[in-house]
This record gives sequence, structure tokens and C-alpha cells, in this order.
Amino acid sequence: MHRVESVEGLNTLSKQMRARRRSGDAVVVTLCGGTGCRASRCQDVIEAVEKELSGNGLAKKVITRVTGGHGFCEQGPIMLIGPWNLFYRRVKSDDVKEIISETVQKGRVIERLLYTDPATGDTVQNVDEVPFYTAQTPTLLSQNRRIDPRSIDDYLAIGGYTALSKVLSGMSPEEVIVEVEASGLRGRGGGGFPTAKKWAACRAASGEEKYVICNADEGDPGAFMDRCILEGNPHGVLEGMLIGAYAIGAEQGYIYVRNEYPLAVNNTREAIRQAREFGFLGENVLGSGLRFDVEIARGGGAFVCGESTALMASLEGKIGEPRPKDIHTVEQGLWNKPSNLNNVETWANIPRIICKGAQWFSDMGTENSKGTKILALTGKVRNTGLVEIAFGTSIRTVVEKIGGGSSEQGKTIKAVQTGGPSGGCLPESMFDLPIDFDILWEKGSMIGSGGLVVMDENTCMVDVARYFLNFLQDESCGKCVPCRVGVDRMLEILTDITQGRGRPEQIALLEELGETIAHTALCGLGKTAPNPVLSTLNYFRDEYEAHIHDKKCPAGVCKPLIKYSIDPDLCTGCAVCLASCPSGAISGEKGHAHSVDMRVCDRCGICLTSCHQDAVVVQ
Amino acid sequence: MSQYVTLTIDGSTVRTPKGSSVLDAALAYGICIPHLCHMPTNTDVGSCRICIVEHVLNGRSKITTSCSLLAKESMVINANSERVLKMRRNIAELLVTQAPNSRAIQDIAVRCGVTETRYPFRSGTCIQCGRCVRVCSETYGAHAIGFVGRGRDRRVDFPFGVRPDYCKKCWACVDLCPMKVTPCDGPMKPGEEYLCGKCESTMNQPQFTVGSCIKCDMGEGFDCVRHAR
Repeated sequence: MHRVESVEGLNTLSKQMRARRRSGDAVVVTLCGGTGCRASRCQDVIEAVEKELSGNGLAKKVITRVTGGHGFCEQGPIMLIGPWNLFYRRVKSDDVKEIISETVQKGRVIERLLYTDPATGDTVQNVDEVPFYTAQTPTLLSQNRRIDPRSIDDYLAIGGYTALSKVLSGMSPEEVIVEVEASGLRGRGGGGFPTAKKWAACRAASGEEKYVICNADEGDPGAFMDRCILEGNPHGVLEGMLIGAYAIGAEQGYIYVRNEYPLAVNNTREAIRQAREFGFLGENVLGSGLRFDVEIARGGGAFVCGESTALMASLEGKIGEPRPKDIHTVEQGLWNKPSNLNNVETWANIPRIICKGAQWFSDMGTENSKGTKILALTGKVRNTGLVEIAFGTSIRTVVEKIGGGSSEQGKTIKAVQTGGPSGGCLPESMFDLPIDFDILWEKGSMIGSGGLVVMDENTCMVDVARYFLNFLQDESCGKCVPCRVGVDRMLEILTDITQGRGRPEQIALLEELGETIAHTALCGLGKTAPNPVLSTLNYFRDEYEAHIHDKKCPAGVCKPLIKYSIDPDLCTGCAVCLASCPSGAISGEKGHAHSVDMRVCDRCGICLTSCHQDAVVVQ
Repeated sequence: MSQYVTLTIDGSTVRTPKGSSVLDAALAYGICIPHLCHMPTNTDVGSCRICIVEHVLNGRSKITTSCSLLAKESMVINANSERVLKMRRNIAELLVTQAPNSRAIQDIAVRCGVTETRYPFRSGTCIQCGRCVRVCSETYGAHAIGFVGRGRDRRVDFPFGVRPDYCKKCWACVDLCPMKVTPCDGPMKPGEEYLCGKCESTMNQPQFTVGSCIKCDMGEGFDCVRHAR
């Protein structure tokens, strides 16, 4: 492919690509090739589709497209069939033959591959009617569905790089910053800092050499929106970085991506190669005189390297540890040069803001949080996956409408944990709160990277706090005392409480220590580390008190605090539990009520799950 | 342009050369800000968090370490407000329970007002202030020791655990280690650690003299910059 030398050249090329893509009535088979679907063997399906199509002589008539993740990873491998927008899920390679002969050739729907709404029991044909998608505002994720991430032609055909041409053909760097400012875009990595403010500060910083960095070191367990964007739409991120570099005056960019994301690394690498070939990266971009290139830096998977200064230290080849931020990174960052670091999602939002205008973006969302945010919905809900919602959507909408409510019949949802390990827990009574940077922060939680873990009555909040603290303690870099020793001490206390050794004064100690860590730790990760404990102490103090005063775990999770017993009225003496108990703690004769000896019991819970009469009681 | 900046620390006006840190400015004026990982000759990393102060800006106050905070014109610093003292005490308590077997750490705990410990003692031998690592790499350019590992497992070690040739055995690392000064009553046995608090008697009512440097004997214990002068 030849190099695009000018803005006009790009516009003609885009037109060509758009014309070429116009499929009319042709059948388009879209297969999700994201990591989630790969885990459920989508590659076998892709191979089978290609084989079947070429075997039937349809390879030229049917367009197949392997895309990045669609968000509904739990239902993978996902297949969309156009022009009918059919939504097939959990497709296996054995189903492919039938799909090609029935659906692709004759247009018949295969019922068993359709999605069934667990709430109503109805099957859904059209992808746009799947309840998981209807309550969303998919503006970023919807692009994933439309393009092959390894094809720049696809990206050009959906209007890719037009934002770049718009910027280069008549906007000054200041105008770009003003536009981004008007959109109200705030950093999606967790801090929620106004992006335009950061750009302006970096532009104003003195120094010839400046850097823009894309933070794709997504360390939060359960969050994978950055991976999904980078895998599914790497050109979108590159275009955002190009615009940012133009606005700031940088000539070099870095994408710091975890090595645990091989597909994201490969797709990004391919995208950079293509962009260089087309002349979007390198010297004299589109004949405008802009010089910008991007390199990939692969991270070793340390959670702390998602923190800006630690990331820059790691990029420099040093130990990935944060440094005091009394001098901001926009003034002295990478190699002590002004550096602008933004999250993948932030960068991916930029081209759309430039293309569609700041007004379009700021129309979505609340007063101080504009646009959309991708959340990773997991936990005890029916539908899990990536969810893109406009800011201001209530937590209840996400949990009940998109998530489909509690995954187990009859269980009530009691809390959500937002913002990854350093976020906080919010109780059910606060589910009507809109999802908004400032409101969640005020209530002791945060949006953070966008994780949303739903918990039901069988979740012990003390144990949850202990779990997250254990993760944070494990991932602490160990540089400063409050985080290294303080979090470790908090974990020690929580372990005591969950094992029945808690003392009443420890609650006050947890609060005091938590406050100290929150204010004195060196980096943002340390400062937010006590959040899981402080927010659960705030909203679920009764659970802590039950653990400490009554030595009981209300949710029946903390093993040293629970007791099993068998209800003699319900027990039929079937001896199933007796046979399945690995510790031999259950005794009794067939036909007579059994009993559990707690001195021998291991509290494994096998009897609880094996009993058909629900006679085993946990206290 | 002036070579000096004027700032307010604990209500007193302090004039200090441009480019110096708030901690340097305070110590030069005899305002005591306890500190541990700070050394006058090396860069500050802000890892011990003992020297925290409150930086008041636009009506809001932010806690930050004074060693890494550059003194700027008309800055307002509270080095010994209630809030700072409480947090400093909490951090000192964490330190002293982690590594009680050092006079330097015990002294800092006393100076910061720790009177009881609410955590079980651990007989740690290193509090990872990084003084040794910095003196080795910055002052002597030897880079013979560095930090290894992460979080709880982080420790100071030679590259790959073997003493390299370029370690000249100058022992500067040992000289600067706060763990080298044993408590007055001799080393504590594991399991028998206690909060010493002996120096309280040598210092006139530490709780009332928090702000000002009283040239305490403890300076020797934790290598206070003022003591070194």
C-alpha cells in the first residue's frame, strides 16, 4: 500500500474504503476473536467457518470478519450474522456446518444457538434486542463489533483517521485542547483528572522534548476494558495519541502494555506497522509536518506499574516504583521530560470527540462526568462482561437491567464493589446513585478502572475486605512504610477478625490506620489501599461487630466462625452426607437423623451441597 | 531574581535558598520535623514518611513529605498540627513494631509521641529506608547494593545475592544504617521486644516541645541532620 501524502489523499482513500465495504445484501459473518472468546475456543469456530465456506464455494460471496471483544464474553464464542443482525452465542465448531447450510444459505434461524433472556425465558434473535445490550450506550465497544482489528482498511471504512485529518487540516493545537476541554472528558484510568487540563499543562511545560504515553497496564483483577479496546480497535488508540501529540507538541509516544495481553500486543504492533506504512506515523504525517512515532513497551505485570511515575520508571528501565509527585509528570516525567500519560479508554475517546464534536460527547453523562464509561460487570449476576454506559446511569440499572439481577434464585444482592481492589463497597440501599466520578468518591468508593463486582447475601464483607487487602499487600511495591507495613498490619487485623481472634478496639484501630495510610502513602495506589476496609466498615459495621463480639460470620463464609448442624426434623437419614464427608465428622444410622461433630469437621461444606433435604444448617 | 524564597512553617516566616526542600528550611530554623530516610547529601525518596507535613493551598491542606517538597514562595506549611502529629505517630508506631531492635527507631517513636504499641512486635532487621542503597549508588557510584523483590519480600541485597568486585567494602552503608545503633539496654531477643522509651527522661516533655528542636540526645540515634552539622 502506498503512503498517504496529504489530507486530501486520506479523504479519497476513506471514500474508497467505504465504497468497498458497502456490502448491500451480502451475508456478513462476524466472529468475535477477543481473548474471552478465544478462551472458549473461538479459533476452532473461525477455522471451521473458513473451511466450510471455501468447501461450499461461498468464500467470495460471504464476508467473514474476525473482530475484537464485544463485551458479552461470558456467552462466547459469539457470532453475528448480517444483514439480519442475528446473535448466536456459545457456538461450537460442530455447529458451523449447520449455520452455513441453514442460516447463511437459506436464511433460517437456528433456535438452539439463540440467546435466552434468563428473566423472561424468551429467545432473542436480533443482537440489538439482547437485554444485556439494550440498556447500554455502546459508543466505543460498538466499534469493536464492526472492524477487524488487524485491518486498517476496516478502520478507515468506518471513518477512522478522519479526526486526524480534521485536526491537521485547520485546527491549531490550542483549538484541539479547547475542544477536548469543552467535551468535559476526564481520565478513565481511575483518577478522573480533566484530560484537557493535563494536556494544557504538558503543552505549557518548558522543554523541547515531550512524550505522550498510553497506559495499558491494566492490573485490576476482573477489569479488562483496556485490553478489549486495544485488542479490538488499536487504530483508535493510535489516532487518539496522534491528536494528543499534536496538541501537546510531542514527537514520541509509548504504549505501555502488559505482556500478559499477547493479543493486544500483537494487534497493536500490527496497527503501528500499518500506520507507519500509510504514513500516519513517522515523519511529516499527512504532509502536515507533524512528526510522531509510537513504540510498544511491554510491562512485567506489576500492579504498581499502572501508577504514572512507576510506569515511567519502568519505561526508563528502572525498578517500577513510584516517586513523590510533588513535581508533576507533566513537567518532569519520563526521562525528566514533560510527559502526558493517559489511559487507553481516554485516548480512544479522543477521535470521536474531535469527529462528532464536544457537544455530542458532553450531552452524555452528568454535570461533572461526561461521556460513557466501560465497566467490567462480574459477580453474582446473570450476565457478566464489559458494559458501556453513559455516566449518570444508576448502579441499579447496571446490576438489574444489564446484569439481569441475582444469578441464584431467591438470593438478594447486598452490595457492589466498584473500582477494583482499591475501590469501595456500596450497599444495596445506595444502588439508585448515578455512576459519576464525584458522587461515588463522596460515598467512599470510586469508579477507578471500572470494575463492578456484585455480591449477594452469601458474601461476607469482612472476608471481601480481607481478600482485596491481601491482593494489595501482595502487589505493594514496598517503597513506603504506610503501604508496605500499614496495609500488612491491616491485613493482619482482618485475618484475626475473620478467624475469630478479633478484639473490639481493633475496629477503631483499623479506622485510624486506614485514615493514616490514605493520607500519607507515597502513591495513589497506596492512598486508596484502605478503601475496601474503610467503606465496608462504614456500611457493614454490623458484620464486623458480629465477627468480633458474637464470633459469628453472618454470611457463613469465615470458616473458623461457622458451625454446621443437621436439622433432625428435616433429615431423613439418607446417609448421603455421611458418605461424602471427607473428615468423617458425620455420624448416625440410616433412617435416623444424623449429627455433625464439630471437633472433627473441616468446614468444607460438602455436606451442605450434597444434602437433598436442605437439612444441613450453617450458623 | 531573588536567590531566596520565603515561606511560613508553623506560623513562623522562614527564608531559605531557592531549590531547598521544606525539611531543610525547617531544620535550618530549628523547627523539628522528625525524619529518617533523609540524608543531607543524597536525593530524597520519601519512603519513610516520617517527615510528613501539611501543605495548605487554596484553603485545602494536603499531607506530603517535607523532604521531597520543594520550598516555594509564600508557601504555608503546618509541620506539627494535630493531624500531622497523629499520622506521624501512627507511622512511627508501625516502624517501631516492625523493627524495635534499634535505638534510632525507638528514639523516633518517642519523639513522635508513641506511648503504646497496638500491634504485635515483629523482629525485623531492616526498615528499608534505603539510606545504604543511595549512599552506595549516589555518593560512591558503586551500585553494589540495591532493592530486590516487592512488597513484603522487598529487601536490600547484592546483585544476584553475591558481593560484586566493585563493592569496595567502604562500609558507608553500615555507617548510615539506623539499625546499627542497638537499644541502650542491648539487643532485644525475639519475642521479648518492648517499647523502650528511656530517652523520654532526657528530653523535657516531648509532647510540649514538638515544634522546636531541643537538640535532643536522640540526634545521635537517628542521625538527625542537625546533629550531623
